[in-house]
Amino acid sequence: MKTVEPAPAAASGRQQGPLVGAPAPRPSRRSREWLHGLLMSAPAVAGLIAFVGIPFCYAVVLSFHNVRLGSPLEPTFFGVEQYRRLFTDPDLSGPFLRALLNNLTFAVVVVPLQTGLALGLAILLNRKLKAIGLFRSLFFMPVVFPMALVAVIWRLILARSDQGMLNSALDAVSLGNWGAFDWLGDGLTAMASIIVLSVWQGVGFQMVILLAGLQQIPGELYEAAELDRASRWQQFRHVTLPGIRGTLVFVALLTSVLSFRVFDQVYVLVKGGGLDEDAARTVMYQAVTTAFDQNNIGQASAITVVFFLIVVVLTLIQRRVVRPDNED
Amino acid sequence: MNPITSSTSSTSGRFRRTARTGLALVLPLAAVAACGGGGGGDTSAEAGSGEGTISVWAHQGQKSEAEALQNAVKSFNSSQGKVKVELKLIPETDYTKTITATSPDKLPDVLEFDGPTMANFVYNKKLAPIDDYVSAKTLDNATDASKAQGEIDGKHYGLGMFDSGLGMYGSKKLLDAAGVTYPKGVDDAWTADQFDAALKALKAKDSDGKVVDLQEGSGYANEWGTYGFAPIVWSAGGSLLKDGKAEGSLDSPAVVSAMKTFRSWKAYTDPNTDGNAFAKGRVALSWVGHWMYPAYSEALGDDLVVLPLPDFGDGPKTGQGSWAWGVGADSKNAKAAGTFLDFLLDDTNVGAMTKANGAPPATKSALASSELYKAGGPLQLFSDQLAKPCGAEDISTSCVAVTRPVTAGYPVVTAKFSEAVNSIYGGADPKAALAEAARAIDRDFSDNAGYEIP
Repeated sequence: MKTVEPAPAAASGRQQGPLVGAPAPRPSRRSREWLHGLLMSAPAVAGLIAFVGIPFCYAVVLSFHNVRLGSPLEPTFFGVEQYRRLFTDPDLSGPFLRALLNNLTFAVVVVPLQTGLALGLAILLNRKLKAIGLFRSLFFMPVVFPMALVAVIWRLILARSDQGMLNSALDAVSLGNWGAFDWLGDGLTAMASIIVLSVWQGVGFQMVILLAGLQQIPGELYEAAELDRASRWQQFRHVTLPGIRGTLVFVALLTSVLSFRVFDQVYVLVKGGGLDEDAARTVMYQAVTTAFDQNNIGQASAITVVFFLIVVVLTLIQRRVVRPDNED
Repeated sequence: MNPITSSTSSTSGRFRRTARTGLALVLPLAAVAACGGGGGGDTSAEAGSGEGTISVWAHQGQKSEAEALQNAVKSFNSSQGKVKVELKLIPETDYTKTITATSPDKLPDVLEFDGPTMANFVYNKKLAPIDDYVSAKTLDNATDASKAQGEIDGKHYGLGMFDSGLGMYGSKKLLDAAGVTYPKGVDDAWTADQFDAALKALKAKDSDGKVVDLQEGSGYANEWGTYGFAPIVWSAGGSLLKDGKAEGSLDSPAVVSAMKTFRSWKAYTDPNTDGNAFAKGRVALSWVGHWMYPAYSEALGDDLVVLPLPDFGDGPKTGQGSWAWGVGADSKNAKAAGTFLDFLLDDTNVGAMTKANGAPPATKSALASSELYKAGGPLQLFSDQLAKPCGAEDISTSCVAVTRPVTAGYPVVTAKFSEAVNSIYGGADPKAALAEAARAIDRDFSDNAGYEIP
């Protein structure tokens, strides 16, 4: 019996890398390649400069000013006042630091949880079954729905009354011993609720990438492992995991970058009512509401600058820790 | 030099790349400059010829409201040949943000706006005074409350088709079954204690113990949080803003204790996730505005009673003010805009609109002939409340309908206050939450030189 279907003609182009210096490295050729490299990266670099570099520099400039959306007053230079407020003014730093903490909690929980779950699902769906396509689409389905829609539906699931779907389900299972619980309004479960709905919505995407990774593992490896009488666990440990290590690292990186962007679900659930705003506030949510509900562009810029730096540092650390083998 | 033409004429790839990079660098800067440069200009629109096409922006609210407006535009366009109106509906949730983010020269000739946001748009030079463009008859016919909402420094910037009011809808059947006596009008409103006792009595007869709807399903960290629950602050003798300062009036001990009482009602509140708690008879009371009347009267019929909000010491209070119409500051055809506003604010259109949304008409003649709001009508309570306007500043025990602060700083006032309401309802300490909101509002006002309109 085979647990894993071998992928036909596993062409692991990903492993081969670009054709750097394959033919004779003549100097003129080298500079030519360098030029081509520059040419090929130009669109991406231009996009990066236009959509990340310039806005970021602009945000840095704005964060040193007192700027209001549509105010007739000229923007005034504020120095580091916006940053001072973010870190030392108890009224502003309280919510901001809480938002940072919420973001970190979210990332720390979601990255391993979602990656692990996606791996589990991918292994589950990587077998020869009738209608496997149907199962795969079912698990992938939530990714197709926009987060705003998902959040609206989960609001009904998590509603605090006994009409809430989760509460009534628990009530039925516990034979009527479960009272109505305020999942979104309780400080302890607000973030947990956001995490659960985010994982549910996003896991299918990671699953599909891991599934592709799994299908690139040559079936002969499993056959060889079976001949060596490796158990299922040993096969997973010594064949599957090394085979998808690169994919796994990519998925973990992607998930952590995405998990810092949590915004939609918090925004929709707060507008829908009953959400504990403090317990679920994320930095993105705070930046957007500061800029567009209170028209305070300077403050919002300072928030985004601080957040950008934190995310860059975290990503660099993460890359250093989980560097894929095949990276030069 | 135009980088696009020069790069196509050049054969040098290197130069082409430089030009492209340059373009990529310059384009966002140009966009930024365009956004930043929109603040200037003068607030008096050009009268224009009074003929031609004008653009109109409105919020897309309930379906019936949008239809009433579309019908009005249709009949205006067919009633004469001089002015043509092009109507654009923008979803309500993004409407105010859209106007905020649009520079004055991109705004239409006629635009709708939510009452309390008006001062901000005047401050941003996005609205022109309408006194010279609408007819004297239209101005005279507006109710005092509507005119008060639209007035800054003696000039009118907005007039509404309808006003608004808050109240408590009750189910007579359920109230009677629980033996609860309820007020007959504004003058014998429940005190907060009586209301509390009524909730307890209702709870004893209710299967799930949830007897009141506070429109929790809409969320409180938004304009509903401010509009719906600022009356508690006013009724406790406080104010969102007094002489441009929130500290001391928003977080006074009486307001703190009133908000504590408000929070204690969460135990009796149906979360109303489906929006049908009252109409389906799950609760006996619903704390909401006039706009639910069409749905509620259809569901409950003769069983529906309309009550004032509870009195926290300084008399019952209600919010006032709603969507209004004004002229864009950069309009080149303000005379034609005025012609359209005259048409929009006549009895036919105000009547049709208020029929569609159940709101109290904001013109004297339409109010007098309104089936719902005239003396003896089912919603007389709302017109009684609006007949005792406080304005925004002088809140006394005898007046009832309070206008939300008319200041360009209103976006911050409402954001901070509604955030406080949301967190208090969620369990935060009322004193700390209100004091924090007051400090945040005051800091913002001092950052902006008190939002003095230049």
